[in-house]
Amino acid sequence: MMSEAKSREEVIESLNQVAAEMHDKMLKGQPPTMTLPVRSKTNIEFNKKLGVYKYGKKQTIRDATSLGSARQLLRALHVIDFIEEMIDTAKSSTLREMYYISEGWGLGKFGTQNESNNIAEDLEIVTRCMREDFKLRPEEDGARMIGNVTIEERNRRGDWMRINCRDDVGDSGYGLPYNVEPEKIRLIDQDIDFIMAIETGGMFDRLVENGFDESARCALIHLKGQPARSTRRMIKRMSETWGKPVMVFADCDPWSFRIFASIAYGAIKTAHISEYLATPSSTYLGITADDILAYDLPSDKLTPKDIEALKAELTDPRFATSEWQDQINMMLDEGQKAEQQALAKYGLDFVTDTYLPEKLAEYGLSI
Amino acid sequence: MSGPTAFGRGRTAAGGISLAKRTTSTMKQASISEFFEKNKHFLGYDTLQRSIITAVKEAVDNSLDACEEHRILPDIAIELRKVPKKNDRIIMVSQDNGPGIPSKSIEKVFGSLLFGSRFHTIRQTRGQQGIGITGVVMYSQLTTGKTTRVTSKITKEATALQMDIGLDTKKNAALVSNRTRTHDFLDYNGMPVEHGLKVEAPMKAKFQRGRKSVGQYLRMTSIVNPHATIRYRAIDDNGEIIEEFVAERVTDRLPRPVRSIKPHPHGLEIGALNRLLRDSTERRMSLFLRHTFSGVPMRAMKETLSHAEVDPATTPNEVSPEEAQRILNAFNTVRLMAPPTDCLSPIEDLLIKKGLSKSVDSAFVATVTRPPNVSLGNPFQVEVGLIFGREDIPADGAVDVLRFANRVPLMYQQGGCLLTKAIESVSWKGYGLEQPGGKGVPKGAATILVHLASTNVQFTSEAKEAVADNEEVHNEIRLALQEVGRHLKNHRKKSAQKAKAQEKFELVNEILPAISTKASSLLGREEPDLAPVITRIMNAVFCEDEVTWDKEAKVHRCRIKIHNYTARPRAYSILAQYPETDTATFVENELGGRREVKGIWCWKLDTIPPGEAGNIEFSIQGLEHNDWNATEVFFRGSGDIIGASKIDEGILEQIRTEEEIATKKALEESNMALDDAMGHDADNSGDLDAEELQKAMMGPIGERLEHSDAEEAIAQHDIDDSGTLDREELLDATQSDTSRQSGLGEWGDE
Repeated sequence: MMSEAKSREEVIESLNQVAAEMHDKMLKGQPPTMTLPVRSKTNIEFNKKLGVYKYGKKQTIRDATSLGSARQLLRALHVIDFIEEMIDTAKSSTLREMYYISEGWGLGKFGTQNESNNIAEDLEIVTRCMREDFKLRPEEDGARMIGNVTIEERNRRGDWMRINCRDDVGDSGYGLPYNVEPEKIRLIDQDIDFIMAIETGGMFDRLVENGFDESARCALIHLKGQPARSTRRMIKRMSETWGKPVMVFADCDPWSFRIFASIAYGAIKTAHISEYLATPSSTYLGITADDILAYDLPSDKLTPKDIEALKAELTDPRFATSEWQDQINMMLDEGQKAEQQALAKYGLDFVTDTYLPEKLAEYGLSI
Repeated sequence: MSGPTAFGRGRTAAGGISLAKRTTSTMKQASISEFFEKNKHFLGYDTLQRSIITAVKEAVDNSLDACEEHRILPDIAIELRKVPKKNDRIIMVSQDNGPGIPSKSIEKVFGSLLFGSRFHTIRQTRGQQGIGITGVVMYSQLTTGKTTRVTSKITKEATALQMDIGLDTKKNAALVSNRTRTHDFLDYNGMPVEHGLKVEAPMKAKFQRGRKSVGQYLRMTSIVNPHATIRYRAIDDNGEIIEEFVAERVTDRLPRPVRSIKPHPHGLEIGALNRLLRDSTERRMSLFLRHTFSGVPMRAMKETLSHAEVDPATTPNEVSPEEAQRILNAFNTVRLMAPPTDCLSPIEDLLIKKGLSKSVDSAFVATVTRPPNVSLGNPFQVEVGLIFGREDIPADGAVDVLRFANRVPLMYQQGGCLLTKAIESVSWKGYGLEQPGGKGVPKGAATILVHLASTNVQFTSEAKEAVADNEEVHNEIRLALQEVGRHLKNHRKKSAQKAKAQEKFELVNEILPAISTKASSLLGREEPDLAPVITRIMNAVFCEDEVTWDKEAKVHRCRIKIHNYTARPRAYSILAQYPETDTATFVENELGGRREVKGIWCWKLDTIPPGEAGNIEFSIQGLEHNDWNATEVFFRGSGDIIGASKIDEGILEQIRTEEEIATKKALEESNMALDDAMGHDADNSGDLDAEELQKAMMGPIGERLEHSDAEEAIAQHDIDDSGTLDREELLDATQSDTSRQSGLGEWGDE
C-alpha cells in the first residue's frame, strides 16, 4: 500500500459518505445523487505545486432521474458493500472477479466489465482513495524491464527477493507486479544514466538484442501501448528516487503522443492520482514528426481517426505548449505517421548505432 | 377503356367455361405451337426460371377461381420434383379440393387453347395473364415431349377419372391416352378425395429461391387469398426436401363473388362504340343506351340523345359515325351515374393484416382499403399494407415491395410499374422510413403491399407484369400509402413514448427502492419515504393501455390506466379507439361513457389525486381474435399524458361531417335510382305496378332490389295495400342497403 495509504476505518468512512449523500437526498424527498468531477479534457488543470495535471473544479451530479443513472447509483452501492466486506475479511479481488461476482447483485449487476471498471474509478475519485485501498486489483500486468537496476520484491511467502534486472533475468526481462509500492518493491541500487520507456515490444526486443541497455547505460522499460498504472508508478519512483531522466521512445502517431502525456503529465482517466503516477521530467525522444522528414522514414497516411485525434489534442491543455502544437500541426500538414520499426529501413543496427545516439545527444546524453 | 383482354382464360369446366365459339381468324390457321413459340415472352414462358412460376400460377389461379365460384374454401398443394439425371427437368404437381371437372369437359379445359372475347362481361378477374392451364400442357409437351396427367374427382361419381393429355397442335385439340378410373386419389393427409383436381406436368424448368421464385409467388398469393390454405414443397433429385411451407388460411370467409357489370360511357372510345352499335340487337337507341351501359339512368339517356340530336327511335345499327361521335361527346357533358363499384372484391383491411401477419413476423402492421373509385368508367379500388419491424430482413436495404393486381402477384418489372412509382412518390422520411435523396423506394426492415382491384387493370405491355400509368389510380395509392405512413409514424412515436414510460416505471418501482434499501442497510439507517421522491422523478401523467383476447369468453378486453405522478390532482376525459363493426358490441363497461364518433368511445374519469391512478376497463364481443390488438388513447384536459394524445376536436368534427355526408350521399343515390325507377311508370299513374317495377329492376334500382323479386318487394313495402308502390314506399324498399358508413378515414393523426 502507498505510503499515504488510508486506514481501514478511513476508507470505510469515505465510502459510506457516498451512500450517505444518496440517503440524505431521499430523506429530503429528492432523487438520490452522486457528485463527482467531470472526467474530460475540459476539466484538467495544471497543478503547479505537483507539476502534473489534476481534475479541475467542474463537477457532475449523477442523479436517479434516468434509468441509466439510477442503475449506476445502485451498482455503486453494491460495489461499496462488496469492498467493505473484503476489507472486513482481508481479501482482495480483481476487477474481473468483481464483474462476475456482480451476477448475484440482481438489479445492480454490471452489463459489461467496462462498467465495473468505471465505477471503481468513480469511487476512487469521490473518496480520494486508491483502488489498492479497495482491495481491487487490475487485470493488466505491469511491463517488462531490463537494465542494471537492483530491486527487492516481496514474494508470495513474504520473503524479500533481491533481483538485478540485467543479470538475474532472461531475455524477456523483469516483469513488474501490479503493486509496485514500497511494501512490495524496494529500490536498492542502480548503475544507469537514464530510463528509456519504449512503446512497442518489437523495438524493446531489438534494443535488448543489440545490448543497448549496456552500451547506453540505461534501464529499458516496455510500455505495452498505453502503460498500466504500475508501469507509470515504477517509472516515477525510479526517476524520483534516483534522479534519473526518463526518455520516451514511441511511434510517431497521435496515440503515442497520448502515451507520453500520460507518463509525463497524467492521464485524463486517472487525473485524481496524477501526483502518484506522472513523471513531469519525462522527455519525448521520438519518433517526432520532423524525424520522418529528417531520416526519410517509410510512412503511412493518417486515417480520419488519426486526424480527429490530432485535432482533439490541439485543444488538450496537456499539449498546449508551442513545441507540442508545432509537432501536432506538422503531422497534420504532412498527413503522415510512422512506426518505430520504420527505422529498420537502414538496417537492424541503425536504431542503436545512429538514430538513438543522435537523438540522445540533443538532450546531452552521450553514449 | 382499352378493350378486353386479348385472351380470355377458361375456367375449370365445372365452373362454367365462358368460351366464345368463334376463333379469331388470325389464329385459326397458324400452328398453335408456332404461336406459342413466338409469343412465349408474354405468355410467361420466356425463361426456365419464369416458366415454372407461370405453370404454378396457372394451376393455382384455376384452383382458386373454381373454389371461389363453388364457394369452397381452397386447399391447394403444390409440389415441384426435380427429375433425377435430367438437367432442368421438373415435374410440377398441383392438387386442389375444388369441384373437380366432369369427364366430358376435361379435354376442353386442358386440351385446347381458348380464345374468348369478354367484351360484354366486365368484371374483376384473376385470369389476366397467360393462356391458362392449356399453356402448361403445351409447354410441357414442347419441352419434354411428354403428356400431362390429370386426375379429377367430382362429388357425384364414386371414382376419380385419370388420363394423360397431350395436344394435337394442328387441330388445337386434346390427345387423350391411358384413360382410367381410380379409387386411389388421396389428399395430403392420405384421405380419399371427395372432390378435387390434380395435375402432374413434367417440364423443362429451373428451380430457384428468392424474390422471383415459386415459393415467393405462393407466399404472395396466400397473403391476398387469406381464405386459402396453400402447401408448398420442392424436392431435390435425391428425394430431399429443399423448400417447404404451409400457409394456413386465416379466415373462413370467401371473397365476395365478383359481379359482371356493363361498360360505363366514360372512357369509351369511338371504335368501341361503333362496334357496340353494330353488334347491338336492340331496336331503339333509347333501349340501347339503357341496356348496354351502366351509369345511364332514364334522365341521362334522354339528355344524351337530345344533346347528340339522335332520335331515340333510331335502330342502333343505323346510327351514322357522325351521330356516334356526337353521342360520345354528349356522354361527357351529361351527368351520368358512377358505375357500380360493388362488382369489385377487395381483400379488406383486416384480412390483409391477417394475411401479412401470417407470412412474416413483425412488430407492426397497418392496412388501408380505400373506398372504390372510378377512372375512365372503370371502377377500381386500392388497398395497401405496411409491415414494419421485420427481423428477417436487413434494416439498411430497400423495403420489400409486394404488388398485386386483382389478387394476382406481380413479380417482374417492378421498376416500371405504377404501383412502384406511387410508392416512390411518397415522402417516406416524414413517416420515419429512410429514403436516400428524398425519393425512390424507401429503406428499412419493412414490407409495403399494394393491391389494385379493377374491372380493367391496364398494363404497360402484353406481359402484364407492370401496371400502366393512370393519374387517378396513382393518387389513390398515394393517399392510401400516406395513411399507412401516418399510422407507422404514430406507432413509432407511441412505441418510443411507451419505452420511455416503461423505463420510468422500472426506475421508480424497482431501482429506486433497491437504492433506498441498500443505502439504508450500509449506513444502518431507517429507509426514507419514497413517495415524494417518485413524484419528483416522474413529474408527469402516464397512460398504460393493453388489449387482450380472452379465449374462454371470446371477448377482447381493453385496459387503460392513467397514472398521476405529479404533485397536483388531475382530471381528464379519456377517449379510446375500438373497431366499430356490425358485430362488435360492448359487453363489459362499468364506467359507461358514450360513443363520440364512429370507432371512438369517451369516458369521464374521476379526479386522480397525486400518486394514484385512474382505470378504464371494457370488453368487446363479436370480433375475431386477430381483429383487434391495440387501441389508441386520447384525452381531453390540461397538461400532457405520456402514452396518449390530446384529441383534435377539428378532426372529430371532420369525421362527424364525413359520416353525415356519406349518409346524405347514399340517400341522394337512392333518390336518383328512384327517379329512374319512376321513369318506368309507363301508365303515368304515379305508382309502379309489379310489371313496371320488374322493368325498373333491369335498371340501376335493380342493384338494391336484386334479392327480392318485384312482387315480394311490393308486398313488403306496400304500406297502403294499394297493390302498387308509390314514391315513398319505393324509397323505403330501396333504403335498406344505404346505411354503409364511411370508414374511420384519416382521423386521429397527431
